[in-house]
Amino acid sequence: MLTGLHVTGNTAMHRLPAGPKLAALALASLVLFFVHSALPLALAVILTGTLYLRLGLSVGEALRRVRPVLITICLFGLLNVVLVSPLEALSSTLRLLAILFFAATVTTTTSIADFMAVLTRLLLPLERLGVVKASDVGLAVGLVLRFVPEIAARHATLREAHRARGVPVKLHRLLGPLIISTLKDADSIAEAIDARGIRGH
Amino acid sequence: MHILFDQAELSYGPVVALKPLSLSLRENRIGVIGLNGSGKTSFARLVNGLAKPSRGKVTLDGLDTVADEKAVMAATGFIFQNPGHQIILPVIRDDIALGPRSRGLKGRELEERVETVLARFGLVELASRRPHELSGGQLQLAALAAVVVNRPKLILFDEPTNQLDLRNRALVKAAIDGLQEQAIVISHDLDLVRDFGRVLVFHEGALVFDGEGPAAIARYREIAAC
Repeated sequence: MLTGLHVTGNTAMHRLPAGPKLAALALASLVLFFVHSALPLALAVILTGTLYLRLGLSVGEALRRVRPVLITICLFGLLNVVLVSPLEALSSTLRLLAILFFAATVTTTTSIADFMAVLTRLLLPLERLGVVKASDVGLAVGLVLRFVPEIAARHATLREAHRARGVPVKLHRLLGPLIISTLKDADSIAEAIDARGIRGH
Repeated sequence: MHILFDQAELSYGPVVALKPLSLSLRENRIGVIGLNGSGKTSFARLVNGLAKPSRGKVTLDGLDTVADEKAVMAATGFIFQNPGHQIILPVIRDDIALGPRSRGLKGRELEERVETVLARFGLVELASRRPHELSGGQLQLAALAAVVVNRPKLILFDEPTNQLDLRNRALVKAAIDGLQEQAIVISHDLDLVRDFGRVLVFHEGALVFDGEGPAAIARYREIAAC
C-alpha cells in the first residue's frame, strides 16, 4: 500500500514526476502481457528488480515491503504449474514479478500528495463533463490511505478490550462498536476538512 | 478580528446548547472555560461557522458566518480536540501542503510556505513521519502548522492540551504563546489561560463571567464546587 511503501529520497526515480512514472508503469504492465517468452520476461524482472533495489533500501527491507504480494505470486505460480504447462507458469510468474518490482519502485518513490495530484489531473475531463469533482476523488483516495491503518488499530484495541474483560473475541461483537466509532470519527474528519477549507476552492 | 455575537443562539431541536449571547471580542488572546457541556465548544463552532446560529447572528470583521461562510472559514483556523482527525494525509509535510495547494498555491511558492511553517514549529525533522509516529504534543503542533500555513487571522483551539503529558503540554503552550495570530483557547487547563486578558466562563449554555484570567478562574472554581 502507498502509505507504507513511500520513502523519501533523492534518487533519479524520486526526482521523476509522478505522472510519467505512473504512465510508464501502466504502459509496461500492458506491454508485458503481450510478451510470452521467458527470456525477455526474465530480463524485465532483473531490470525492475535492480531498479527497486537501487532506491536505498536494504535487500531485507525491500523484500519485506513486497512480501505479501510476492508470496501470492509464488503460490499463483505453483498453481499454474498444475493448471498449465511449466513454461507458461514460469512466464506468467516472471511477468507478475516484473510488474510487482516496477510498481514497488513507483510507490516507493511517489508520495500520496503527488499520486493524488495525478489522479485529480486525470479526472479533470470527467469534471468538465459534470460527472465527478476531480479534487474530491483525489482527497477520498488520500483519506482511505490515511485512515485504513487507524481503523485496523481501532480493531486491535477493541480486541484487546474484549480480552481484558475476559470476553471471547467474536467478529460480530466487534463490528458494532467498530462501525459506530468509525462513523463518529468520519463526522469529525469531515468537519476538519471543512474547517481547513480543503474542499470548495 | 472583531468577533461580534448578536443575540446568537445555538440549539439542536429542543436542546439549547448556547443561550442567546451578545458579545464583542477584539483581544488577541481569549480564553474560554467551563464544565463539560457548558457550551464552550458550541461557542467556538459558532465563531468559525462550523455551526450556524439558530437565532441571531455572528460576524467576524463584518463577515456573517452564514452568508459569508467561505470567507469566514478562510480567515479562521480550528484545532480540534483530537488533532489526529484533522491530519488528513499520511505524511506530515504532504498534509501541511494540502491546504495551500487546494487554494491554488504550487511549485516553489508552496514549498517555501510549507518549509517556513515546518521550521516555525520545529517540525523539520518530523516532516516525513506519519501521524501515528508522533507524540501527542507533536501531533498538536503538526495540526497547528497545517492551520497556520493557510495564514488565518484567528485560530480556535478546542482543549489543545487535553491528554498531554507535562512535556508535550509545555510544547503546545509555548507554540500558542508564540503565535502572532489572534487566538481563542477553550481549555480545562486553567494555567493555559491564566495570563489571558479576557477569559469567558460558560455554565449551562450561558456566559456567566467575562473578565481577566485570575478572576474568571476563581468564578469557575466556585461553579465547579457547587
